[in-house]
Amino acid sequence: MKRYALRQLVQLTVVVVGISILSFAILHVIGDPVLLLLPQNAGKEEYERYHKLLGLDKPVYVQYWKFASRALQGDFGKSWYTDTPAFKLVIDRMPPTLYLTTAGLVAALLIALPLGILAALKRHSFVDNLCTMLAVAGQAMPIFWLGIMLIIIFAVRLKALPASGYGTWQHFLMPAFTLGAFLAPITMRLVRSGVIEIMNMDYIRTARAKGFGERKVVVKHAFRNACIPVITVLGLQFGQLLGGAIVTETVFAWPGVATLTVDSIRNQDFPVVQCAVVLLALIIVSVNFLVDIVVGLIDPRIRVA
Amino acid sequence: MRRTLTLASTLLVLLALGWLTPADAQTKEDTLVYALQSDVDTWDPPNSVLREAIILGYHVFDHLAARDLKTRRVGPSLATSWKTIDDTTWEVKLRQGVKFHDGSPFTAKDVKASFERVLDPAKKMTARGNHAKIKSVEIVDDHTVRFKTDGPYPLFVERMTALVIHSEKVLREKPHEWVQENPIGTGPYKLVRWNRKQEHLLVRNDDYWGAKPTFKHVRIRIIPEQATQIAELISGGVDIIKAVPPDQMDVIDKSGQARTATSPILRTALLQLDQAARGGPNPFTDKRVRQAANLAVDADAIIKHVLNGLGDRTATAVNPMAFGWDPNLKPYKQDIDRAKKLLAEAGYPNGLDITFHTGPPVVEPAIQQTNDAIVADMAKAGFRVKQNYIGDNTVLVARIKEGKGGPMFNWSWGYYSVFDADAILYDVFKCGEAYAYYCNRELDDLIHAGRSTLDQKKRAETYVKAQKLLFDDAAYLYKWGLRGVWGISNRVEYQAPADEVDRMFLVTPRKK
Repeated sequence: MKRYALRQLVQLTVVVVGISILSFAILHVIGDPVLLLLPQNAGKEEYERYHKLLGLDKPVYVQYWKFASRALQGDFGKSWYTDTPAFKLVIDRMPPTLYLTTAGLVAALLIALPLGILAALKRHSFVDNLCTMLAVAGQAMPIFWLGIMLIIIFAVRLKALPASGYGTWQHFLMPAFTLGAFLAPITMRLVRSGVIEIMNMDYIRTARAKGFGERKVVVKHAFRNACIPVITVLGLQFGQLLGGAIVTETVFAWPGVATLTVDSIRNQDFPVVQCAVVLLALIIVSVNFLVDIVVGLIDPRIRVA
Repeated sequence: MRRTLTLASTLLVLLALGWLTPADAQTKEDTLVYALQSDVDTWDPPNSVLREAIILGYHVFDHLAARDLKTRRVGPSLATSWKTIDDTTWEVKLRQGVKFHDGSPFTAKDVKASFERVLDPAKKMTARGNHAKIKSVEIVDDHTVRFKTDGPYPLFVERMTALVIHSEKVLREKPHEWVQENPIGTGPYKLVRWNRKQEHLLVRNDDYWGAKPTFKHVRIRIIPEQATQIAELISGGVDIIKAVPPDQMDVIDKSGQARTATSPILRTALLQLDQAARGGPNPFTDKRVRQAANLAVDADAIIKHVLNGLGDRTATAVNPMAFGWDPNLKPYKQDIDRAKKLLAEAGYPNGLDITFHTGPPVVEPAIQQTNDAIVADMAKAGFRVKQNYIGDNTVLVARIKEGKGGPMFNWSWGYYSVFDADAILYDVFKCGEAYAYYCNRELDDLIHAGRSTLDQKKRAETYVKAQKLLFDDAAYLYKWGLRGVWGISNRVEYQAPADEVDRMFLVTPRKK
């Protein structure tokens, strides 16, 4: 297990370095940052001064080294737009997004697990077809539309929930469901096919032969094994979930890091973009690392291979 | 399964711990909620280009002068009176007994420090250009200051509404970064907290020198999505929203929870034609082609049918609310036959091809629909117009600034909120200005004459001449003055402001 974890950790490090190079390159791909920063009527002297100030006169590898060593200390420079440290801006906005994605994940599981198992056990029945329809509908509904619909129903018509904002548990329900509905269909289909496949396995027959009740067979034997692909996919989908968070945050005026990133791209505020990209990538990579470890713990075959 | 449940509930508990924020000592009755589409970059208005920063600035700070929304004239605020000593000196008397939020008294020192800060080139304040005509500020006594200007400065009084007064003590003692997030003004509200891109909470300044606001608290929420803003308004979560799209007015008016209000605003929309040939030779360098374009379009019909009446036809680009506007000049009326004749005379008997750079509806509602109508009208006279849509307004404006706007493009001008003809003529019509695609020395002389005297009667006469010239020469394709649309909850009374500066301290509960 130790060796397995170590191998995953090395892979993780390689990925993080790769991402840092990519985000460092952003600034150089979009053209001369000095021209972006300076007003249009700036003179050549001012140009040279800023060129030096930003360290752009040094070779690229020196620049990268400086960027990377500062980034390790959480120093991504100051936002060009608000004059505050980029790291602080991003970190301040991180918790709302993490809460939202976690809540979305929980919502997705709460929808997907029971429906997926139910659909598998009642294969080709009315219930199964209904679940399939729900999955197709969920996949087809744009997050944006679903969010607005929920607002119209629960805030405008029923006045049961606040239409947007952040702060109390009521504020979480609609965004979490919106994001969950985005992730639930694929998870549900996976649970369904996993359970179906496993229900035909020999050890299920053995369990039944031992006289276990159907409930115990499904929960203890089938579900546990069906979980492995689900966990792996959830890990991979985490990045998607952050993508979905951008739209969800916009619709519900959620003060998260996803909208900050989009705003910063629009404002060409590159220190913030770099910082957000690196930190978000770090989170995605760490989540996948944890997923690998968890899967390894559940299924001993994987960590040996 | 049990383990999953345990995990899920642990997560929920963790989440719950994270959400809990301290309860605010505010109730719905004494709190007014105002929504903005995007947040400010700073709480230091002269250091920002954003209108949101101007709006927030009005709540926490005061200006030397303020506009009376009923008369649209500039009246006293921190200054009680002003007069000219000579052509280049203004003397301003200051209000006594005013206190900053930190308790320090307001005096001439604060006025001097605020203006000197914005005028200092090293400080790189965004608003510097608006006040650059001021050469120096002298303290006469504790409550009198004199402004020396670089030549006669007729816009001085208008521009007194455009700079917030900071405390000299704060500017001296606190670093620049601190000032960006901690506004200490003399205004009707104080800032309690600012959660970036989420909300601002203001509390009433009970020591305010002027009329005290009715609502004890103002929450300013940042809601980027317009549909969400409208949902919040009609579900009672927000009291006032601005920039409502015309096609959504019905939704609000029929909700029974809120209503819409419109007001003409100080912004004129037009299509610039490249008379100055900044993009090289093009048909619009010929006056007859420009006139034909103006004659081809039935702007009145477009206002009525496409904009649901939300526009005020202008003869030129000078807005009816601006000083110097000539009410006697009548706009072009559609006359396709005359347009065709003019085009034939100009050498285009079979019509001509034009590229038209269009932009997104950032400031102009329904811009795409009105563009389509204009293009269709122009086609009747023989203009074959090809629209080239540029989806990012910043990109479009940057291209225009560099002279790459093309022969015809969307433009609108907000006058920097200065209610004076000079505020559009200088920037949009004067030879060589960044946003001007028109160049006419005769007009330049009139613009110059208008800004070189303090005699308002003479200035008005000059602007009448300038508008006649612009009309006859058909400098651009003239459209209309815009109207803003606000959504207002039925629990409050609020007058839509013509200067686009929302003032929550004027909102009162609605009488039942």
